[in-house]
Amino acid sequence: MAEFDVVTPSVKVADGTLPTATGKALSVVALRKTYGDVVAVDEASMEIAAGEFVTFLGASGSGKTTTLMMIAGFCEPDSGTITVGGRDMTRLAPQKRGLGFVFQQYLLFPHMTVSENVAFPLTLRGVPKDEIRRRVGETLEIAGLSGFGGRKPRELSGGQQQRVALCRALVYRPPVILMDEPLGALDKKLRDQLQVEIKAIQQELGLTVIYVTHDQEEALVLSDRIAVMRNGLIEQFDTPRELFERPRTPFVADFLGAANFLSGHVEKHTDEHTLVRLDETGGLLKARRHELATGTQIKAAVQPGRLRAGAPGDGFCTGTVETATYVGTLVRAGVRVGSGDVLLRLEVPAGRGPVAGERVGVTADPEDVNLFADERER
Amino acid sequence: MAALTATARPRKLLASRRTRVGILYALPVVVYLLVLFVYPIFGTLFLSLKNADGSLTLHWYVDALTGVNLSVLITTLRISAETALLSLVFGFVLANAISRLKPLWAGLAMLVVVVPHFISALVRTYGWIILLGDKGLVNETLAGLSVPGTPYRLLYNELGVVIGTTSMMLPYTVLLLYGVMRGVDRRLLAAAASMGAGRVTIFRRVYLPLVAPGLASAGLLSFILSLGYYITPALMGGPNQTMIATLINQQVTKENQWNGAAAQGVILLLLTLAGLLLVKLVSSLGASRKKRSAS
Repeated sequence: MAEFDVVTPSVKVADGTLPTATGKALSVVALRKTYGDVVAVDEASMEIAAGEFVTFLGASGSGKTTTLMMIAGFCEPDSGTITVGGRDMTRLAPQKRGLGFVFQQYLLFPHMTVSENVAFPLTLRGVPKDEIRRRVGETLEIAGLSGFGGRKPRELSGGQQQRVALCRALVYRPPVILMDEPLGALDKKLRDQLQVEIKAIQQELGLTVIYVTHDQEEALVLSDRIAVMRNGLIEQFDTPRELFERPRTPFVADFLGAANFLSGHVEKHTDEHTLVRLDETGGLLKARRHELATGTQIKAAVQPGRLRAGAPGDGFCTGTVETATYVGTLVRAGVRVGSGDVLLRLEVPAGRGPVAGERVGVTADPEDVNLFADERER
Repeated sequence: MAALTATARPRKLLASRRTRVGILYALPVVVYLLVLFVYPIFGTLFLSLKNADGSLTLHWYVDALTGVNLSVLITTLRISAETALLSLVFGFVLANAISRLKPLWAGLAMLVVVVPHFISALVRTYGWIILLGDKGLVNETLAGLSVPGTPYRLLYNELGVVIGTTSMMLPYTVLLLYGVMRGVDRRLLAAAASMGAGRVTIFRRVYLPLVAPGLASAGLLSFILSLGYYITPALMGGPNQTMIATLINQQVTKENQWNGAAAQGVILLLLTLAGLLLVKLVSSLGASRKKRSAS
């Protein structure tokens, strides 16, 4: 069984016979959905370009799945509009939208073979038999499933079933393919492998994909852009790099980067930098220039991987290494600073890792420091 | 070598304590089945093959399959088929409606379907007779609505028998179909819709194939149960609707003709087995056709 799971996707370039990109921009404007008093999705708006891989990332209850269901047509928005390729679909039934959908539970038709499953959407569209056979064959080949056409879904492993579901969603070249945590039911190793395959197929065929997940790593691996959602709001919709390096809210900094937070206030600005006086340690932290008024109470966020341990006295604060855990290529260190209330988390290359009990100065590149006006003051 | 293992195996089997305990547990059931199931069946079979002088004969079967007896058999098959078909249709509509209800309402609806079944079939049959008579509720209502041709003959003919037996079979078909329909993942239908399938297509190409096994077993069950049904056909039918169970009853109680009754009983049993075999055959044929068309 295991050997079937190790199938590398063919990465040959589309030669015209393969379904090529037909993606048209999808736009969502001020989409809103409430269940009783609970606002599931609050005024979500976004533009998605053709050929783009977009992920809705958030914890459960963040509104990511509801948004996807509204785009699919399984759930009707209270207000707002959804347009695909310039066509308003807000109130259209799901079967009239012509979108592709991949479900977490695969939902293959158990009474049909793999081929029949993949052929199903084509038969609905009145595609001639020869063409159906050709396209089903091609699509199965892309997903590394040639030779599985005659099998029933229950004879396949979870990963293979989800590949079939993917084939079924892309065989009719929908303008947008929606995926609702498609890898959620698979184990880690298979998930990693399928992520690579999905990304390869998406790029090869130029598919426009909207993907829902709660897994940050998965979102980073797959996406061109990620919409980080919380409590029905899109916190930030950006490229993975922007989200990582320029989070716009403390939530994004925490959710994606697991950032260290330090409170303080803006002391002064230079041409390129903003200097922050930290509350707990009294140290001066240099950040890249932020447009914040002098004296503003702020929170500074720095990711563990962007902090470095130097000689005592270096950097913005000095503390004692409390824990140093070796995790392969990295050492995760906890450094107790200030009066002892703050534990900074550091991730440093294993070779130069600090040891427990050592006194170190913690430094950060001003470019890696993000400042947020403290919400408590607002 | 073979002989050695052959003798060694049973000893080894019995040597296991678990096996001995298992046999002990199974013994009451085995005895029960032997006494009350296997013995009567072979007794009946023997009776149906026995001549008056004790020699073996097939002439009870010849009797059972000729003349009036044959036409009774054919009537039985026809009425059973009609009943199976009608209870399938009504059962499907009813079970489908119930399976779409919220759990609480579905539970109540199932209760309404099943509870009448706790009432004696005799009482229910008389209930139908009262409803369907020339001066019964149905005809009175139709007359009140000035429907031409009233009163309709709804009793003591085949229509009456089929109405009666169908109502008796309905709880079985609804229960069976409801179970199968609840087992159908509704999200599969949503998946089909997401690919562009309309309601009719979803019903025909996804829903129906998924509940087909349930339809086959429900249809077969009501057919088999109808084959041997006695009270309702006897009370709601006329002389032309005599079914095989009535005939067997007459032979035993009125003519003291046990051998002929036994032969008809065996025929009934064989018909039932044939029905089971047919469904099995059809389903496996369908599966192999599928396999061939796929490859």
